[in-house]
Amino acid sequence: MKAPEIPADDPIEAHLADLTATLHGPARLKTQMVDELREGLLDTARELSPDAEPDRDAARQAIRQFGPVAELAPSFQRELTITQARHTARTVMLIIPCLLVCWYLVELSTRAAGHRLPDPLQVVVAHLGGLAALTALLAAVSLSVTGTLARRLPLPQQLPLVVAWTGTTAAVALGLSALTLITAAVLATNWPLTATACLITIVFHARIAASARACRHCARLPVTAP
Amino acid sequence: MKTDAVRGHLDGLLLSVLESGPLHGYAIIAAVQERSGGVLELRKGTIYPALNRLERIGLLSSAWESVGERRRRCYELTDAGRRSLATERTRWRAFTAAIGSVLEPAPAPGHAT
Repeated sequence: MKAPEIPADDPIEAHLADLTATLHGPARLKTQMVDELREGLLDTARELSPDAEPDRDAARQAIRQFGPVAELAPSFQRELTITQARHTARTVMLIIPCLLVCWYLVELSTRAAGHRLPDPLQVVVAHLGGLAALTALLAAVSLSVTGTLARRLPLPQQLPLVVAWTGTTAAVALGLSALTLITAAVLATNWPLTATACLITIVFHARIAASARACRHCARLPVTAP
Repeated sequence: MKTDAVRGHLDGLLLSVLESGPLHGYAIIAAVQERSGGVLELRKGTIYPALNRLERIGLLSSAWESVGERRRRCYELTDAGRRSLATERTRWRAFTAAIGSVLEPAPAPGHAT
């Protein structure tokens, strides 16, 4: 997509373009925060300008009052990083229980048909399921700590990184589970059901992996304490 | 007053100016400066992430409103925000009373019993 053209003589738009290029995180929140900042800068420039439309000097003065990109970016990035961590945590927390139910139904269906998955596969699936459940639990805790609990508890600086690696662990567990289910599908007589479970696992793995990757990226960026 | 001195009290200041009703970001900044008689210096740009944080933890709610061609995000105190403001005020009064009682000149030693 072609980037919107910034008028060369508009200091506010140039300033916002610099800030936007520096920030990483959920696109919607980023746009909202930059739009809000634009409104504030325009209001300030209008107040400082003797004319109805703010001139460039007034725009530059407004930018100085709001602070340079280097000073603003860490506080904006902190919110974006936490919001990305919350997205990742929510994704893990919602997907993993659905998937565990899905696997359980496959297991029940296989038993009902009078078959059993080979013991080694059952052990692997049980361990991966346990690991996935643990990541869902961690994700739920992270969601609480970054939400209403943050009124009472200080937010650990490394929490977004913890969420990022929790998501990565969940994605790896799902990837390995998909491989296990592929093997099971080959061995199972009721292979369409197992293959469907495998396909769902792969889709969910991709979803969590993408969110965890974005979270890891955000968590590495410099932020300031509130 | 320096921006650093305001930092620890920013949440209370923002909640306080929203007590009387919803305001957008720039109006919040203007209200803080007006109510402090221009004494408090805010780094204006950092107010927006602070408002976002207060909304995330449930102390504020926000809605976008169109004013002519412009769109503004207006913030409002939630019930939790009102409770938090009351707590903040109580803490601040206790703090200033304690500091005030130490800073006040001590009674002359001759009057001591």
